[in-house]
Amino acid sequence: MALIQARGLSKTFGGKAAVQGLSFDVVPGSVTGFLGPNGAGKSTTMRLMLGLDNGDGVTTYDGVPYRELKHPLRQVGSVLDAKPFHPTRKAVNHLRMLAVSNDIPRSRVNDVINLVGLGDVANAKPKTFSLGMGQRLGLATALLGDPGTLILDEPANGLDPQGVHWLRNMLKALAGQGRSIFVSSHLLSEMALMADSLVVVGRGSLIASGKMSDFISTSNRNAVLIRVDNPELMTRELRARSAVVVTEPDGRLAVTGQDSDQVGGLAHELGVRVFELSNREATLEEAFLDATGASEEFRASMGFGNQSPAFGGPMMGQHGYGPGGPGGPSQQSYGQPPQQGYGQPPQQGYGQYGQPPQPGYGDAPPQGGASTPTPADTSSTEDDHRRNGDSS
Amino acid sequence: MIGALKYEWARITSIRSSYWMSGLALTLSAGIAIILCLVVNAANDAGDLGNLAGQSTFSTWIVTSGASGPGMPILAAVFFAVMGCMAMGHEYRYGTNKATLTALPDRIAVLASKSLVLSAWVAAPALLILLLNTAIAWLFVDGMSLDGGSLRPMLFFMLYCVGFGLAGIMLSSITRNQVGSIVAVLVWPLVLEPIVFAILRITALSGSDIGLGKLANLLPASAGRRTMFRPFDLFANLDVSSETTIWGLGASTAVFWIGIAILVGIGGTLFVKRDA
Repeated sequence: MALIQARGLSKTFGGKAAVQGLSFDVVPGSVTGFLGPNGAGKSTTMRLMLGLDNGDGVTTYDGVPYRELKHPLRQVGSVLDAKPFHPTRKAVNHLRMLAVSNDIPRSRVNDVINLVGLGDVANAKPKTFSLGMGQRLGLATALLGDPGTLILDEPANGLDPQGVHWLRNMLKALAGQGRSIFVSSHLLSEMALMADSLVVVGRGSLIASGKMSDFISTSNRNAVLIRVDNPELMTRELRARSAVVVTEPDGRLAVTGQDSDQVGGLAHELGVRVFELSNREATLEEAFLDATGASEEFRASMGFGNQSPAFGGPMMGQHGYGPGGPGGPSQQSYGQPPQQGYGQPPQQGYGQYGQPPQPGYGDAPPQGGASTPTPADTSSTEDDHRRNGDSS
Repeated sequence: MIGALKYEWARITSIRSSYWMSGLALTLSAGIAIILCLVVNAANDAGDLGNLAGQSTFSTWIVTSGASGPGMPILAAVFFAVMGCMAMGHEYRYGTNKATLTALPDRIAVLASKSLVLSAWVAAPALLILLLNTAIAWLFVDGMSLDGGSLRPMLFFMLYCVGFGLAGIMLSSITRNQVGSIVAVLVWPLVLEPIVFAILRITALSGSDIGLGKLANLLPASAGRRTMFRPFDLFANLDVSSETTIWGLGASTAVFWIGIAILVGIGGTLFVKRDA
């Protein structure tokens, strides 16, 4: 059950850095989600980890680089493409071909093909397979050598809800057996249910790494919501106490930097009537969008954001995340000037991940990823992330 | 390396195209041999050329499906070259190169096993073609005769087929495009080289030669083609000066295999160095 250690992974395409100085650990016994916007370098990172691309840095599996593993399929299983099969080679023959290359018993082929639910089509040609069936065959390939480590790139693509449910349970069960599972996905709700830890990248650089609960706790969307009869006074006094206050479209104040006891207590001191006081907890999606909003590789050039009355709200990653973003602050969404928007969350709210993105976050790729934000090394993680924030 | 060889053997034996290509090479080569038998029999019946069937040169011509004489492309080699293109081209066309290289990270072993297995695979049906054609010749031609001189064209027929298979693999490795490599492996020996060869030779024979005639010897596919000729110097009567001299068997063999080696060098280097 291998510990994956990625150190200083870097890859450049035509002078443009796709991955730069990426370092992280994937520990046994956990599902580690790999998140990032399109073009963030997730697939390139996985190819680097598997020795498929030539780049800088090294990834080791219990201290051994992939290319030096004697029987790699028995130690690391991977799925990088949805349907990487010859269309007319029978599914069972595809697996047998891989099995003989790594001295995997023939009986294991039948085991895995039944495990992924393709027993009835074992002798069918993959050209007849749906995308979901292709994914299952890919998973069978990854599981063929009963490896201690799985590296999966978007394995839920094309799976139906039952398939996604099955995948989630299987990966969690495999992690429960002590295996290291490293999985990328755009399905954040699914990742929220599946992953224990996260590695988040943007524009090829590390944004965060660690436990998912810690990552979510860093979100600016975590806030105390309060509705009062004198919001101006309440806002002024909260800001005087270094809280960040954003007026929601419905008039409520979203307060970060003060907990609900403090906010309620202040209202009482001020003699302000309170109609509502609650905590809002961020979802993984919100935390992810907060963290990666400025690091999207590709964005729509025509906004559906604050220029568009038809849509009203900001386009994620383009508007509304603070003064540093390309689109500037979103007045409609957050109703506050840029300095009070989502670009400058309270520093104490970021825990393990250090400081939040500063204005312009992501404009210059953070350089701190080369260090080692391992779950076991909290201080270095904080330092790295602080540097990330400061560097932009 | 053993794992890579097992993998490649499983790969080549588990897709239909391997059997289709080999079967077509065998069938069409046999068909050509039958046609050549009819040609020889017709010539014998006419009697103007004497007893062609009794001449081992013509028997060799039939057994090699015309390879031991000029003017006829080696159909079997074309199919084996396409097989070579598919052996590597499928990896890129269907994205199986990632599965291959995660199972077998040693790229040199992967390429070497592809080359070895395909060579062995190609050599087998090439030999079968020769045996089948011999049977056809015995069946269709009265007085068919083979002698020791027949062995060299037959051996080089097999080597030529193997060389074309390797060329197919390497062209796919270079282009990373199955269709492109198939086009290249067909156009180069069947279109490009004959045109260049003809221009160089005609230029030399026209008297305006400045040594270009000798360059025709450097065309690898043409050189490989000549190694099967019986007699070797079938073009000797076209020579008018030392500027157009056809090189000997050893030199022609070397030119053909140096050409293949260059492709192996380029294709192998790119396969190892490039991203998957």
